[in-house]
This record gives sequence, structure tokens and C-alpha cells, in this order.
Amino acid sequence: MKEIVVLLGLCGLVLAGALNPAQGADWKMDAAGSKLEFIATFEKTAAPGVFKEFDARLRFEPEKPAGGSLDVTIKVTSADMSIADVNKEIRGKDWFDYAGFPQAEFRSTDLRRKEGNHYVARGTLSLKGVKQPVEVPFTWTGSADGATMEGELTLKRGAFGIGSGEWAASNVIGADVKVKFKVKLRKAG
Amino acid sequence: MAVLILAQITLGVMAATWRVSPAKLELFFWHKSTGMLILALVALRLLWRLANPTPALPSGMPAWERAAARSSHLLLYLLMIALPVSGWIVNSASNIPFRIFWLIPLPAIVAADKSTADLVALVHGGLFAALALVLVAHIGAALRHHFVKRNAVLIRMLPDAWRTP
Repeated sequence: MKEIVVLLGLCGLVLAGALNPAQGADWKMDAAGSKLEFIATFEKTAAPGVFKEFDARLRFEPEKPAGGSLDVTIKVTSADMSIADVNKEIRGKDWFDYAGFPQAEFRSTDLRRKEGNHYVARGTLSLKGVKQPVEVPFTWTGSADGATMEGELTLKRGAFGIGSGEWAASNVIGADVKVKFKVKLRKAG
Repeated sequence: MAVLILAQITLGVMAATWRVSPAKLELFFWHKSTGMLILALVALRLLWRLANPTPALPSGMPAWERAAARSSHLLLYLLMIALPVSGWIVNSASNIPFRIFWLIPLPAIVAADKSTADLVALVHGGLFAALALVLVAHIGAALRHHFVKRNAVLIRMLPDAWRTP
């Protein structure tokens, strides 16, 4: 049964691709060359962390970004802030709540070019059960065997309930969290 | 300096025993900042001490008292250096980003390592216990000089103008 559903799904994808040739090429992430960082602040000093496991799927044509899409899945439970005590704390309900929300997602609704190799993906970030519209700016650098997309954005941790209760105050742990990414991509198929 | 050290002890004990909360992190922040300030002041104090003669002990002190005074002062200096340095090692080994009073980034002096952090945290606590003991002896001896032996050892720390004849 499962196989049939997958097969039907694949047929649908192929068909959709055939009917919409303008949607651009499919790209797959090369995990080894990719990095997703989040930089919080502690007493006004940068406290960096990283999501060790995440995956980005991209349908993108640099010259024709409209119609493309960017989908990112982040394994929240792979967060590592390289401080043993902190890694223990962020699992809890007040922070990422690993048990309740092990995964976060970004789904783009719109890709557009700003200028040159600067683009922006607008979409929805689902994190800790909260959906928020987010703009992800990125640069696109093509190479012979693939491409690299890089960018950074700043999120308010409070908007997603990251650091709830007494941790919501931003004097010790800052309100802003910078997200930085570098994704290596290879043309799929 | 004495006030700073007493404040530092209070901050340290509170930070260590407080439940995990923003207040605990705040206490640690002030404890670490004050610790680094004390370390800098101790360095200045040692330079001063090397450049200037130490006031002579009162004449007629028995030899054991002189020995006790010398060794407890030496111990105080050692602890005033070892306590902040061990705290610095704990912070480095724990890999916690930290700027002294939000201003000066504190470089790591050892590599990040959990077992080092745990071990040196114990040493830090042990040194604190030693400091508490030496302080009791030091303060007790100062009070004894003042109230029992009635000499000027305590009072002579004051600037000349503040002393009543």
C-alpha cells in the first residue's frame, strides 16, 4: 500500500515537473559542506550554537527565481551550544522543548531576486509549535559542480516562546537570535 | 579590597546555591566580573608591595606570632591569586562566553573540557574553604591586636589624618 502511495506521489511529481518546466532545477543539500548556526547572546556576549542536523530542498533557477521554492527541515534536537550545562537546559519545556517539538520547518511561499546574486525567500517558519512569517535573505554563488547559498537573519526568540516564563526577560539572555546558514547544493537527478 | 572580597564571597555562595534561573546567571556574571577585578587589584597590590617596604611588626611579638602573621599573609596572597585564576579556568573549561562587566572579553586559558571544569570547580570550592579559615584567623588576629594587645596594628591601616591620637 505504502509503495503505491509513494509511486503515485512520484508520478505526480514527474507530471508536475513536466507541466511546469519554468519552475527551475531541483537542488539537494550536501550536508558535509553545510552549516546552520544560531547565535544567542548571554550578558551581551555572543553565545553561538549550531543545529547539527538539517536538510534543505530547493527548486531554484538563479535567473528566474519566481516559481521556485525552498523547504528546510531542522532537527531541533540536534542543537549544540558546546556548553554541557546549557545543552542540558535547552532540551526543557522553557527552551526548545525537545519532547514536544523535535522538528522545525521553513516553507517558502515566494522567492525573488533583490539585486545581483542577492535573493530573498519569504515563507513561514514553524518552530516550537508557532508559525511566523519570516524573510530569509541569501546570496547565491554557482560553481561548476553545484552552488552555495549563504545568509543570515535575526529572529526574536520570544515570538516562538523560546525561553518562556522567567526566561522571557531579555536582560540576561538577549531577545535577538541571529541565524546564519551556509548551504552547499548539488543539482539533483 | 576587603569589602570586595566579602561581597565576592557572598556572590559566589549565592550563585553556587541558587536554583537555575536568570537570577543565578546574573549572580555568576557579577561573581566572575568581581573576581577578575580582584585579580587585577591583587596584581597592583603585589607590585606596590614589592616597590615599598612593608610596615614592621610591633616589637616584642613572640616568634610564633611573627611566623603565624607571615605565613597567614603569604597564604592570603596565594589564595587571592589562586581563587580568581581557578574560577577563570572553570569558566574557560566550561566554554562560557563572558565579558568582564560587559566590556572586556575574557580569553580562555584552558581548552573546553567538562571533566576539567568539574575538577577545577571542586578545587575552587576547596580554596574558598581555605580562604574562609585564613580570614577567620586574620580578622581574629587583627581584633586581638586592637582590643587585647592594644597596639596600633589595625589602626595604622588608616590614613594619617583619620587617626585620633
